[in-house]
Amino acid sequence: MSLIKEKFNQISPSEFFYSNRDLAGFSNPTRSLYTAVREFVENALDACDQKGILPDVHLIIKSVDPEKSDPKPYILTVKDNGPGIDPEHIPLAFGTVLYGSKFGLKQARGMFGLGATMAILYGQITTNKPVTVKSSVDGQTQDEFELLLDIQKNKPIIVKHNTKEVSKKGLSVSICLEGDYSKAGNKIRDYVYETSLITPYASITFDDPKGEKFSHPRFVKDIPPPPTIIRPHPHGIDVERIRRMIVESQFEIPNIDDAMIEKVRKDLGLSVKNLSFTVIMEKAKKKWKTLSRQVRVVIALMSFLKMDFEKLNKIKIEEIDMPNKKLFYWDFGDSQSKSIDMDPESPYFKQLTNTVQGEHMTTFLTKRFQRIGPTTALKFAEFAGFKPEKRMGTMTNQELVNLSDSLQKFEDFLAPDPSCLAPLGEEPLEKGIKKFFNPDFAAVVQRPASAYSGFPFIVEMGIAYGGDIKTGGPHVYRYANRIPLLYDEGSDVVLKVVNDTDWGRYKIKGEPPFIIVSHICSTRIPYKTAGKENVADRPEIERELRLGLQYLSRKLASYMSKRGQADMAKKRANLYAKYIPLIATFATELAGKKKEPNYKKILEIENVDESQKIVEEKNEVENK
Amino acid sequence: MKLKTNKEKSKIKERSKKADEKQRNILEMLQSHGAKIYDDLENGQFPKFSIPSRSVSNIVYDKKLRQYILGSNSAVRSSRNSSQLRSFTQLMWLAFFANRLTQEKKSSTLRDVYYSSQAFAIEFEDQSESDNIIVDLEAVTSKPREDFHIFPEERSSIFGDLNIEYTIPGYEGKTMNLSNHPDGYSIGPSLTTAELVDTSAEIVIAIEKGGLFTRFVEEQVDKNFKSIIINTGGQAPRSTRTLLKRLHDEMKLPVIVLTDGDVYGEHIAMVIKSGSANAAHLRELTVPDAKWVGVWATDIEKYKLPTIQMTESDIKRCYDLQKDPRYEDGIWKKELDVFLRLKRKAELEAFSKYGLTNITEKYLPQKLELAKSL
Repeated sequence: MSLIKEKFNQISPSEFFYSNRDLAGFSNPTRSLYTAVREFVENALDACDQKGILPDVHLIIKSVDPEKSDPKPYILTVKDNGPGIDPEHIPLAFGTVLYGSKFGLKQARGMFGLGATMAILYGQITTNKPVTVKSSVDGQTQDEFELLLDIQKNKPIIVKHNTKEVSKKGLSVSICLEGDYSKAGNKIRDYVYETSLITPYASITFDDPKGEKFSHPRFVKDIPPPPTIIRPHPHGIDVERIRRMIVESQFEIPNIDDAMIEKVRKDLGLSVKNLSFTVIMEKAKKKWKTLSRQVRVVIALMSFLKMDFEKLNKIKIEEIDMPNKKLFYWDFGDSQSKSIDMDPESPYFKQLTNTVQGEHMTTFLTKRFQRIGPTTALKFAEFAGFKPEKRMGTMTNQELVNLSDSLQKFEDFLAPDPSCLAPLGEEPLEKGIKKFFNPDFAAVVQRPASAYSGFPFIVEMGIAYGGDIKTGGPHVYRYANRIPLLYDEGSDVVLKVVNDTDWGRYKIKGEPPFIIVSHICSTRIPYKTAGKENVADRPEIERELRLGLQYLSRKLASYMSKRGQADMAKKRANLYAKYIPLIATFATELAGKKKEPNYKKILEIENVDESQKIVEEKNEVENK
Repeated sequence: MKLKTNKEKSKIKERSKKADEKQRNILEMLQSHGAKIYDDLENGQFPKFSIPSRSVSNIVYDKKLRQYILGSNSAVRSSRNSSQLRSFTQLMWLAFFANRLTQEKKSSTLRDVYYSSQAFAIEFEDQSESDNIIVDLEAVTSKPREDFHIFPEERSSIFGDLNIEYTIPGYEGKTMNLSNHPDGYSIGPSLTTAELVDTSAEIVIAIEKGGLFTRFVEEQVDKNFKSIIINTGGQAPRSTRTLLKRLHDEMKLPVIVLTDGDVYGEHIAMVIKSGSANAAHLRELTVPDAKWVGVWATDIEKYKLPTIQMTESDIKRCYDLQKDPRYEDGIWKKELDVFLRLKRKAELEAFSKYGLTNITEKYLPQKLELAKSL
């Protein structure tokens, strides 16, 4: 007998993240301060976006003891003018890990609202101070909570709760955490700066611990249309996902009890007494279109059983065997199992089939996926080798695998519906680039929506040259779902695409002053790590980035060649300005004149006829 | 001091008139070029001028003139063409500079020109660039640079009974007899521009080497053969060729050339006679009647001279010259063929084998006699 007792502990999500906090970007005081800022600012922007509110976000970082040296405790506060959170949800939302509202299929900055709780958790671990949440949903009353997390139980502990009157809606979250602003300061300022470029409709202010104020007022008045939640795209759906969808699509045979019978009677609009089977069936035929699915199933069963409500009350449906057209039921009166044959010609037979075996494949496809109409569904069924009327409930495992494979391979599906995405748009992006860099040249492009593994995405890119831009480019500004990505750029797909480009081909040489902005929008960004700083190189995304960059590079090249021509013309003009006066001086003395000739007219002629120049050059070659 | 006769006085007058006229011609030509450029500028046009092409394809041998000349191809150099603007300006400056030199009767070396440019914010990469522009000016004006008072470094000299009269500032009217100093007189700007007054000599002997020149003076070749001796110092410089031409044309003296017995010596004589391809744009540098009297290839055998093996480049040079139309016939072709057959060469000093004075006492008289029949 073994003397060793193995002990299995189920750990709470809070505990899990506590011991694995570096996964979420809380590895050290520098990185943690930066990540906490990101999580709260992004939550604030997301909340405003969802309600179509032009965001005003105020970020404040204060050191608890300014005399102390880093790393040390800081108070981080983020205020917004968003919709706020209902007071009853606040303790759970801020005091539980994995509680959130961001689980649907649409684009948002954060996923699952995980990061904010992690920041709170990190603050609590390092300073043992509660989080303060102030929220007003109506612009009149504000609820203020002080919360601690019970890490073992993954439950909030309310330290304090009070209310007071206010005049503004919005949410304010304040935590105390160990951080290192002297090291994280640069990144945080960059983050705020770059965020305001990709969120031109937001006003963001930042009060830093040294008393400096960074203000980025909004310069675009229109908020981009908010994304909607949508059905999945057939490309890249997996077997497990299909299985779950089929389960969702099937209806169970309702439990026929008194309440159910009462409901059917009421829905048919019948009185309590003298209800013959015939009367019930006739009434059902008339009202069929208005009936609910449950009621229809009950009626169908009654039609085969040929029973009224009274008799129905005394049996229990055991099994419906559609392939053998048999209906098994338990008779309480006789205390035995009975069966009847069902007439497949009856219209009610089809109703039961639907319920038991699930929808036809074509119905399933058109109803549960985006971008599939009846025609496409038929085409697909043929492609995949299924009958269009194949019942989804009768799929074997192998058939499910085949279906999943075929969904990937079928090429006639339209591209995913990008309505769940919220790209910034070409105009605001260009406006932002021009405002931030004051460039000599700027161009932007929004690629058409595409998909990787069934997740739609859109790539937006911008390029700018000259003006206030520092030399040593390209400087790359990476964004994903309107979040600037500042760390780990070495392994990022955007950097890969930029570095693969031979800029010499686009007439860009030396240490050019130019920037590239890339924005990837997707319902799910394929980050390489939970720290959300670098995007993995999915071939579909890489391709879109490449095409976008090529388009912009060509535009830049044509600008560069025009600029080159202008530079040449300027150079030539300088040459004329240098030499023509000398020629004039020498000619004056040679010719024995007193006054110099009026050569100004020549210098004004800037555009020397190119064709003439070529002819003259030819002569010169001959001369040599 | 002996009083000059009236005849002499009028001669002097005539000579100075001639010199003035030449200077005036140069200045007028420069002025007319300058005026054209000036007018273009005044009229709002980019000034330009045409310049004879000096590319190889445009250098042709003129049998009538018996020298290389430039063909009819020419290129336009325009100040409108930004890639020509710099050289255009350089050339304008040079014309301007030459104009000042001519007016002030000052002379300048090629190197002086290179440095002088810097005072006028005209840059030349190096002297070869400025030398090139000087050749451009020669080509445009068809005048040698000496006419613009621009001279190369001196290395050749002259000795003999020749009276000259200086024309350069500070020496105008001064005369000199060129047999007064036994080391000879270097052929520089003052001598090249001097008037040739009179001479008792009946022939000009141009000799390739300084060593032989000294020997000729020592042995009084000038007196014994009534000659003017000129040391060309290898390939004769332009100023020396100009002087040779003037001695031939103005003093009616025949010119003979004595060189080493090799292919280079033969070509030194040829350049004096009919010019070089490099100076194809100029026409007043040749003495078509000059005669090469030795050392010939046939002399090597005839006089049993000690010889040196020809190098590969010597032989290559022979083959190159065979393609030159001037070497197609006569003594030029004959001697070249013998050189190629012998593959050996002999220097002028080789005659020392038979005694130091052998060349002046034996060889020279024979050759002078022979020259009459050439």
